[in-house]
Amino acid sequence: MEYLSLDILSLHQAILEGKITPLELVKQSLEKAKNDQNNAFEYICEKEALEAVNRLDPNKQNNLLWGIPYALKDNFSTKDIPTCASSNILRGYTPIFSSEVYLRLTEQGAILIGKATLDELAMGGTGMTGHKGLTYNPWDPSHKHMVGGSSCGSAAAVASGIVPFAIGSDTGDSVRKPASYAALVGMKPTWGRISRFGLFPFAPSLDHVAFFTRNVMDSAIVLEALSGRDEKDSSSSTVAVEKYSQSISAHLNGKKFAVIKEIYDSINNRNIIASFDKTIETLKQQGARVDFVSMDLKLCKAIYPTYIVISCSEATSNNANLDGIKFGPRFDGKDYEEVMTKARTEGFCEMIKRRFVIGSYSLFKENQAEVFLRAQKVRRLIVDATNNILKDYDVIYLPAAPSTAPLFQGEKGDKLSNEYLISDNHLAIGNFAGLPSIVLPLGFDKGLPFGVNLTGKRFAESEVLSLAKGIENITQLKDLVAKEGK
Amino acid sequence: MNFEAVIGLEIHVEMNTKSKMFSNAPICYGKLPNTLTVPLDLAFPGTMPVVNKQAVINAIRICNALNMTIDRELWFDRKNYFYSDLPKGYQITQQQRPIGSDGKLEINTSLGKRTISIERLHLEEDTCKQLHSWDCTLLDYNRAGIPLVEIVSRPDLRSGEEARQYVEKIRSIVTFLDVSTGKMEEGSLRCDVNISLRPVGAKKLGTKVEIKNLNSFANIEKAVDYEIKRQEKVLLSGGAVTQETRRFDEGLKQTILMRLKTDAVDYKYFVEPNIPPIKLSEDFIKNAIDTSPELAEVKLARYQNLGLNDYDSQMLISNKKTCVYFDEAIKSGASAKLLANWIIVDVQSILNKEMIDIDQFKVSPRNLGKLVLMIEKQQVSNKQGREIFQKLIEKDEDPEIVKKIIGADLVSDGDLIGQAVKEIIDSNPQAIIDYQNGKDRAVGFLVGQVMKKMAGKANPAIVNKLVVEELQRR
Repeated sequence: MEYLSLDILSLHQAILEGKITPLELVKQSLEKAKNDQNNAFEYICEKEALEAVNRLDPNKQNNLLWGIPYALKDNFSTKDIPTCASSNILRGYTPIFSSEVYLRLTEQGAILIGKATLDELAMGGTGMTGHKGLTYNPWDPSHKHMVGGSSCGSAAAVASGIVPFAIGSDTGDSVRKPASYAALVGMKPTWGRISRFGLFPFAPSLDHVAFFTRNVMDSAIVLEALSGRDEKDSSSSTVAVEKYSQSISAHLNGKKFAVIKEIYDSINNRNIIASFDKTIETLKQQGARVDFVSMDLKLCKAIYPTYIVISCSEATSNNANLDGIKFGPRFDGKDYEEVMTKARTEGFCEMIKRRFVIGSYSLFKENQAEVFLRAQKVRRLIVDATNNILKDYDVIYLPAAPSTAPLFQGEKGDKLSNEYLISDNHLAIGNFAGLPSIVLPLGFDKGLPFGVNLTGKRFAESEVLSLAKGIENITQLKDLVAKEGK
Repeated sequence: MNFEAVIGLEIHVEMNTKSKMFSNAPICYGKLPNTLTVPLDLAFPGTMPVVNKQAVINAIRICNALNMTIDRELWFDRKNYFYSDLPKGYQITQQQRPIGSDGKLEINTSLGKRTISIERLHLEEDTCKQLHSWDCTLLDYNRAGIPLVEIVSRPDLRSGEEARQYVEKIRSIVTFLDVSTGKMEEGSLRCDVNISLRPVGAKKLGTKVEIKNLNSFANIEKAVDYEIKRQEKVLLSGGAVTQETRRFDEGLKQTILMRLKTDAVDYKYFVEPNIPPIKLSEDFIKNAIDTSPELAEVKLARYQNLGLNDYDSQMLISNKKTCVYFDEAIKSGASAKLLANWIIVDVQSILNKEMIDIDQFKVSPRNLGKLVLMIEKQQVSNKQGREIFQKLIEKDEDPEIVKKIIGADLVSDGDLIGQAVKEIIDSNPQAIIDYQNGKDRAVGFLVGQVMKKMAGKANPAIVNKLVVEELQRR
């Protein structure tokens, strides 16, 4: 019996019934992690996981996550467990405090089996920029296709059946895009729903704790475990946490779905569009209303540049602590500037440096009004337009991406095409507005998966999960695990 | 040509809150380096700032004392630059929306009262302290993150004296509000001066020079006066003042060039994304102000109402700690005038001798107050009062107890005892004869009788002395 491929509820039941013990489960998970073919892990927590199993409190076994192994993106601080965010500049860093996410999962009995790879410092969407090299898509044993990023290792670990769920972070689409490429459910809730304390910041106004599961119900369970106010994160919300796993309904009759026409129109892949259209028909048959609504094309085309300007600006500041004095490689120099320059030149990959340059440029006094502040205004316009749609609809419903997972060595697409600017980056709308947003499998094209996205109102996580469950019932695509490569 | 000096001050006040501006690390001056830190102070990745409520309350109180407009929303910004003393690579400050704006402060100068406009007051965090030695720089993060308020004046000041008066007034405000120790020598109050000259009557401002690292009130005045003369000389000799940063050298009594101000650093400010704007309710602001400790001026008025003259009240409010002592001592019910006198003269002379502050003075305000009341009610003589005071310095206890120990609780009044002595001797003629016949025990007998008459309250030494004197007279 392949327990690690089960959904969380079944796994929980198996543990309660004594069919498998947490120790056996964690050992299986560790074994699989060690045999991982996709470069999913920065660090496998074998010793720590076995100790954690020993410490499990039997009185807490009714907790759904009790004894369940999981992976954590390596940009979450874990006390006494190395955390380097897949960056050379943090190589060898072992935190002295733990992120709130890790604390909550530990408290509930979930067992951390590994720290997952990412694009360096969570910047990037390819899974190619981490210091350990490429992370592969488990759905392509030939290792030609990316799994996407930046939460590449977390996605690969869940898709290949090493763990039933994994934590990532989502600043533009860093969980939801890989979910689409790896036939997973990827969710980020409302900004402030989950504490970011201990998450290495990339762009705090856009950063979200997010997670991968293999079905919608599991997402509800994980969300419930992570949500709630944390005094250590001033931006975390005091809005009451719901029992998401109990309120999930799959009820579609009378629900209102909005498809943004401009985003839909920018997708060229006919298979994706056909699958998407099919779900629309079924939704309508089940009593839902699905309307095509419009968003100013100029705003749609501005999503990506707006994202780049804001995220890079914040990133250049957030990572300024990595200066070779407290963190990062220590070099000698005639003054502090030389020490810092050497550390940062050696410590970061080219892509990161490029982003820092963009960020600094955008913030310079002479550019700030034209670049950074303008991006902030555009962000506000996009947010207003989105919330305007959500006044009349329960969710915005769209294909998650215009394609399946790209090739590592693919042709460089036209970065000024509508497809790239709009449908390849539209998930960032959820980050701009801090809205709950979920991606789940929609279909396969030439053996590779693609997903569909629902984005709902602030703190309407229950609604978003329920509608996602309805879609999941239509597609019947859940609990998908990629076959191991030869 | 006559010039007018145009001077603006930027004052940084380090708060004495229990914990830091955005972390829960404790604050304490003079502790071992790097012992008062938590991960946020060293900018560990993933740490997040949480605003210190007391620091906000303190800022509101200072704003109120400076007649400023208080923002109803709290916003923070990041000031980005790389420097070895800056843990995060940015400082959290309030650039766009300072908590206080458009204030004013009245100062007394030798030329009369002047009102100085204040542009802004904002909250921010301190950097870590650098200790430079010849081959390395040591970093002490105890200071990193201590709450600061920066108070920026408009260029309304005109002389070294005004600058000093202004800073002293600010110091008085922040110390009386219990916001800061306000010690320039410890760096808890720091002052940068911007100064330029222009021909009298001119509107246009001259090139401004910044003076940094001023460590005392006296040096502020000296530095400004020196700098005015220096710039005057430059201008009169046909030269031009260059935009630069100078420091004041105490030994040379001159300002010395530190660096030229070429291109100003671009701090790439933007709104701090980890602290969503915080609403400051009317209730919160009102409560902060209503519960605010008394300012010096308020105390001054109160002291004058208590009947203290100008000199005495000024002496008391020249030091916040003296006021605290006085306010506690006066609860005894002693008169303000007598108490003030004791504090200003007797207590002060001991403080001077022992070189201590009044909060380290051994006699508690409660006991001093009691003593002064006893003197006032003539329960003890002035001389006895001073004797008791000396004993209290040795051991701080209830003056009533000391009074008994030194016998000052006995009647020592010569007239009173003398009267009793006369009466007793008059009614015992045999005792006079006995005495004259050389029988010394007659003295003992008479003393016993006097003591009996005075219910044992008379000072036996005095009784004895007066009995002998009276007997000799007969």
